[in-house]
Amino acid sequence: MQKYKTYAAGYLFLLPWFIGFIFLYLSPIIASLYLSFTRYDLLSAPQWIGFDNYKTMFTDDYRLGDSIKVTFKYVLLSVPFRLAFALGLAMLLNQGMKFLGLYRTIYYIPSLLGGSVAISVLWKQVFDKEGLYNQGLSLLGIDGPNWIADPHYAIFSLIGLSVWQFGSVMIIFLAGLKQIPQELYEAATVDGASIFRKFARITLPLLTPVIFFNLTITLIQSFQTFTKAFIISGGSGGPINSTLLYSLYLYIKGFTFLDMGYASAMAWLLLIIIAAFTGVLFLTSRYWVYYSDGRD
Amino acid sequence: MLKKKTIAMYMLTLVLFLAACSNGASNEPDKEGAASQATGEATTDDGKEIELRMSWWGADERHEKTLKVIELFEQKNPGVKITGEYSGFDGYLDKLNTQIAAGNAPDLIQLGGNIKEYVDKNALLDLTPYVGDILHVDDFNGGLVKAATFNDKLYGVTLGVSSTTLMYNASMFEKAGLPVPNENWTYDDFKADVIQIAEKLGKGHYGSYDLSSDAASLGSYLGSVGKELYRDGERHFDKQEMIDWFSMWDELRKAGAIVPADVQVASPPTAVDKSLVVKGEVAIQSASASQIFGFQELTQDQLGLTVYPNGPAGSGMIPPISGQFITSYEGTKHPEMVAKFIDFMVNDPEAGVILGSTRGVPPAAKIRDVLAAQSTPVDKVLYDYISLVSNTAPAVDYQQFPLDNEFTKLLQLTSEKIAFNANSIESSVDEFMTETDKLLAKAKAQ
Repeated sequence: MQKYKTYAAGYLFLLPWFIGFIFLYLSPIIASLYLSFTRYDLLSAPQWIGFDNYKTMFTDDYRLGDSIKVTFKYVLLSVPFRLAFALGLAMLLNQGMKFLGLYRTIYYIPSLLGGSVAISVLWKQVFDKEGLYNQGLSLLGIDGPNWIADPHYAIFSLIGLSVWQFGSVMIIFLAGLKQIPQELYEAATVDGASIFRKFARITLPLLTPVIFFNLTITLIQSFQTFTKAFIISGGSGGPINSTLLYSLYLYIKGFTFLDMGYASAMAWLLLIIIAAFTGVLFLTSRYWVYYSDGRD
Repeated sequence: MLKKKTIAMYMLTLVLFLAACSNGASNEPDKEGAASQATGEATTDDGKEIELRMSWWGADERHEKTLKVIELFEQKNPGVKITGEYSGFDGYLDKLNTQIAAGNAPDLIQLGGNIKEYVDKNALLDLTPYVGDILHVDDFNGGLVKAATFNDKLYGVTLGVSSTTLMYNASMFEKAGLPVPNENWTYDDFKADVIQIAEKLGKGHYGSYDLSSDAASLGSYLGSVGKELYRDGERHFDKQEMIDWFSMWDELRKAGAIVPADVQVASPPTAVDKSLVVKGEVAIQSASASQIFGFQELTQDQLGLTVYPNGPAGSGMIPPISGQFITSYEGTKHPEMVAKFIDFMVNDPEAGVILGSTRGVPPAAKIRDVLAAQSTPVDKVLYDYISLVSNTAPAVDYQQFPLDNEFTKLLQLTSEKIAFNANSIESSVDEFMTETDKLLAKAKAQ
């Protein structure tokens, strides 16, 4: 009896989260699975059409192909650059310099403004034909292209924006760096190891759990990127689908073209893609992630 | 042991992801649940205070005028409160669709040529029961009433007569030493003019925006060569016309006479604050005629309106159609008050004076008479244009391309592929034709 009471308290504490999970997350997810087998235009009742949406996705939608290509390009470039950039800065900030707290705050600010619309609007101004960036280039005598409006460059301005929002990743790296015992570096210094050797043999291996965490989270976030592409391309994913990230195309299908059934099917494909990537990370993690506390 | 832990962590990560995902990407399915909830919420007023919401799109100038009319209506009808939900056109329909799906759409909704789509979805209120009694449309031109009548039921009231057309910067024509276009001009005149303007005004100046991506411009061009964009479930043009169309623009692009592709993407003509016609850098763009108020307000240059050029088959102009309708949401709690407000907007002389022609030439003759007495120069440009196009446009019964949103995007994509040299005209047009036919098939299946 006593035992049940103990459990009851536990479940009671769980309840708010649990209710939220059921009604805000789980039921919409299940509903979207159902809708992905229907034709649903938001305004009238969904009609069951079996696997038609999935069939169309794989056989008859060249824009989806474009969109997946753009998304992969974005993810595969922005994730490594963002992690490397964040790690580099975290190491700089870990040198025990003066005003460290101040610098840390300053570098974190872009991430606070993070997913916001305002930052994307600002970015759009900076990379405009007559924007700040090109004005800088013109001082060097370079006539910069129209970064955002040119299909060759548009995706890179999005990648740049993503790399720039490195703050939260950096903070986690910084915490990881603080965990590494100083004795190891001291011993290595006594043995005459170079900076690079210390980095490769001490910092990196001991940081792998943090790298693993950051990589997983950043990867998932990157696949779901929406706001930047929506604002910078004015909601179109243009020019020539060059910024048509997956989530943006999903939004256009669902809310502009009113193909909500198809959009739901796309959401499930995205889930599968992300699950596959995350799965590979987890399966390979045992070969490259090192837990120093002996947990393997 | 190790494996179990890995799997557990993997599952946990996925759950975290699911949580994140359902926030953004796939929150659509709970709409049905929300529908029943929202109708319950709307009954907060217990008979005394009537609260209505009204949504419209436009530029600042239109927002101000509409808000003033709402205020006036509230003064004359104590106990009624109308909240405006206004924005630019970008995203307007996306938001509206979501609201309708959630069952909490505004009581009063401004719609354009796509009104039929919403009638078909049973989203709009049948206004017929209020006609004659509360709502008066008897001195409207019959065609305007017909435009919003489907299956003998009236679903909307015309707010203004307008049509998509060419808006030009007359000051630039003057600087280039050219007469402004008149209703007899042809596509050859158009080409000669834009080339000359670009040459005479020098670098950074162009004769025209690239209109190859504009569905209304294309529609008019097809009319001028004796074809049609769409009628009764079929397209009425072939590959050759599309090749001619894109080739014409390509030729002008190569001559430096029209806006280059990247500039067009960065400064689209649809946004009044970005339009280079307003800035005096581009002489011609397409626009809905009534938009001239918002555009003219931002520039010292003189703007004008003219019809699309003539082709071998004469004018391809689409006759002036109702620019915008005011409609009511089918789920409104106060249909009579809604009808009363609609009537106020189109028939009250005071409201008429405030609104002017911000949504096109007013449909009620008596309001037009009031306005004619005190018209501004811009009003005159619009009125002259509307009578010009009424006289020159062939009498065709215009039909909107179904799945218009998707068709517009497709045309834009095709145009960009050619403009950015990503694809040849020939293969871009092939793709365009295939995709257009797919859209038509899809529209039929629905």
